[in-house]
Amino acid sequence: MKTRMFACLALLIACGFCIIVFADNHEEEDMNKLVFPEAYKIEAVANGGKISGVVKFDGEVPEKKKLAINKDPAVCDTVAKYDESLVVGEGNVLKNTIVYLMDVTKGKDFDKDAKVELDQKDCRFDPHVQIIPVGATLTVLNSDKATHNVHIFGTKKNNTSVNKQQPRTRKKMRLSREGVAKGPEGPVEVKCDIHGWMRAWVAYVPHPYFAVTNEKGEFTLEDVPAGTYKLGYWHEMCGTNNKEPVAITVEAGGEVKQEFTLKVKESK
Amino acid sequence: MKKRNYTLILTILGMFFIVPFIIAQDTADDTAEAQNAAAGKAVYDNSCAHCHGIEGRGDGSAAENLLPQPRDFTRGLYKIRSTESGELPTDQDLFDIITEGMPGTSMPEWETALDADERWQVVAYIKTFYEGFKESETTPKEIRLAGKIPYSEESIEIGKELYTQFACYECHGDEGRGDGTSAPTLRDEWDYKSWPANLHQNWNYRGDNDIDDIYKRFIGGIAGSAMPMFDDPAFGLSIEEARRYNQLDNMGEMTDAEEEEYTGLADKMENAFEILDIMNADEGDEEQRKFYEESMKAFYEKSWHLANYVKSLSPEKRPEAAIGKNSLRSQYVEGELPSMDDVVWDDLEASYFPLVGQIIIEPRQFNPTIDSVNVKSYYNDTHVAFLFIWDDRTHNTAEEENEDTGKTYEDAIAIQFPVKIPKGPTSPKPYFLWGGKLPVYLWHWQASAPEKTTELTAKGINNATIQDVQTDIQTESTYSKGQYKLWIKRSIKTEDKKDLQLEPGVFAPIAFSVWDGANGDVGTKRVISSWYSFVLEPIPSSKRFIYPPIVALLSLGLLIGLRGFVQRRNTELNNTNDENNRDK
Repeated sequence: MKTRMFACLALLIACGFCIIVFADNHEEEDMNKLVFPEAYKIEAVANGGKISGVVKFDGEVPEKKKLAINKDPAVCDTVAKYDESLVVGEGNVLKNTIVYLMDVTKGKDFDKDAKVELDQKDCRFDPHVQIIPVGATLTVLNSDKATHNVHIFGTKKNNTSVNKQQPRTRKKMRLSREGVAKGPEGPVEVKCDIHGWMRAWVAYVPHPYFAVTNEKGEFTLEDVPAGTYKLGYWHEMCGTNNKEPVAITVEAGGEVKQEFTLKVKESK
Repeated sequence: MKKRNYTLILTILGMFFIVPFIIAQDTADDTAEAQNAAAGKAVYDNSCAHCHGIEGRGDGSAAENLLPQPRDFTRGLYKIRSTESGELPTDQDLFDIITEGMPGTSMPEWETALDADERWQVVAYIKTFYEGFKESETTPKEIRLAGKIPYSEESIEIGKELYTQFACYECHGDEGRGDGTSAPTLRDEWDYKSWPANLHQNWNYRGDNDIDDIYKRFIGGIAGSAMPMFDDPAFGLSIEEARRYNQLDNMGEMTDAEEEEYTGLADKMENAFEILDIMNADEGDEEQRKFYEESMKAFYEKSWHLANYVKSLSPEKRPEAAIGKNSLRSQYVEGELPSMDDVVWDDLEASYFPLVGQIIIEPRQFNPTIDSVNVKSYYNDTHVAFLFIWDDRTHNTAEEENEDTGKTYEDAIAIQFPVKIPKGPTSPKPYFLWGGKLPVYLWHWQASAPEKTTELTAKGINNATIQDVQTDIQTESTYSKGQYKLWIKRSIKTEDKKDLQLEPGVFAPIAFSVWDGANGDVGTKRVISSWYSFVLEPIPSSKRFIYPPIVALLSLGLLIGLRGFVQRRNTELNNTNDENNRDK
């Protein structure tokens, strides 16, 4: 009798264990991605609040790593280029971190005048991390006298990758991901396979409450409707705080400060 | 207590096996497609899941060692399609890949193992792994094959020019052997190493190698890999205008007139690209549409020329291996043997020795990059010369550790012979993997010492020694445009008992090991062949004129002799009879 009870208990534990293991497994990929609200409604924001702050880096600051240029030196090796996966500025501030609201469901519209451009200059993508409104067209520039190929990786959620060669004669190329990326996703990697060192990240987002930290590690989210939100971050090397987002309360017309200190995530 | 522990462990273990099955169960709709898919599950679990995983994630138990990795069906990314860039494949595309397999990968053809119904069921089932198949309302947009340009010398010539214009050489190399300067750093979206195709070996293409298929890869790209969808770099320009533009572009200094012409062509292209963007966004007016359609037509024409050129780089079909009538036959020459770059080598048809990954002894090579070695040979009264030719995308002359390319080793080749030629076809040969009880004799060449061949004796793949006495082996080699050429000359006979001694007319076993350092080949990790045989073709010239007459004369003499003998005997017999008669 006791044995049977024990078996039942074991079965239950095993079930639970399995569910955890498998659920985890499925979410593995999502842990490195941004979190988006199910729906977002555009409405005028009067007297919104502001969230700002600095993202800092905790850990040994790696030495600036100069990229080895093994191709087209006349075009690509005129300016020294460095690995941009971890750019730490003076005072241990961290560039290229996305800071955003995970669960905002209504608020302002995107800035219609904002440029959605990715430049390829001196065989380097600029900017390294970029936010793109879902459905917007990304204009890819080729400022080099070299052939590039713009390879935007696919994701599980939204299918297919985009991989288009951009000849040196084509200075501008409009890349719509609509129909391919049906919804928000990312960040996804952008690569030029021809020049293997070229890397960038783009995120397709459904609302404008996203910021990418600058050289001083600063970010600002403006016109936030009053309320309590989950504040998230993403960084190429440091990962996300999807498991433990910061709860932040914004008052009408108020300003809230938030600082993050990130560590390089352990590789699996 | 102990028993309970076992129950617990067994139950937990049991759940590990059962739960994935429960999760993988599909909630079936009542459509025919769903029924098909349900039937396909059984076939899939039995035949496909070992590599592609029970949930279609490309993570089956056998996946670990495979490169390219088995397809992850949950991503909806398919390389070989007849559809435009960014589109899903058609059902027929999936069916064809299952039926024909993917050359150069671990994906076998299933035509014989599964009947057509089962293959269609698998198609229906693998589509369930990716939501996109369900969501897409329209059928995938197929690549139109209209306006095909027939295969001709003229078209190939134009295609060759476009190969450079379209920058194919960046990855595929100047002559198309997959040796472009970007080749060593290419990786796929799963971050696995992926090599650009060697266009001279189209039997290794993942998809078919007809001109239509080449054209489709070009227009649609190879999803998930570095192969992009292509743009006409001279969009809006005719082939002649593009030629002129490139001519001007390469000029150091231009006259005012040339400058003007150049700017004119550049503006025309810029304008064309702008219209292309407008049309892609469905925003064009009637006039723009007309211009766009004309320019696209020109682009498709260019693409057909390019496909014709790429087709022309490979032989019509994969060469037959060097056995039987294709065996390597060293040809006799009088006097000096041809040097490495003598044109007389072109007179010989190379013998083709296919290679496979060494997968018997650890560490193994499951993902070989070297297809074969081609060999030609001449000999004279004292020496034999060989020309070994093989394609390798990279030239590695040392062991190196590089962040972009990982750890690479030195390229090398070893040509293997038995120490003693077996007496007859049934006599035992040494074990083909560098010998065993019976030793083998080896010529070992390494890329770091391009003019040196070392003699080895081996009694096993890990049991090779450098011979104390090194016979003089003349060696020359080149690496150019993705191809090694190695010229070796040795005397037919040597003083050293550990060396192979050759004899015209006697077939000698030969085998190969090749190392592609960029593919991690080192030690036992390499590509190999089994035993083949070659012969110094017996001297045909003078003997052809001497032996037959001698044989004829001898026969004649014999006949005459025989006739005389018979006649004599008859006469003697007659005489005896006469004498006998007289006696009576």
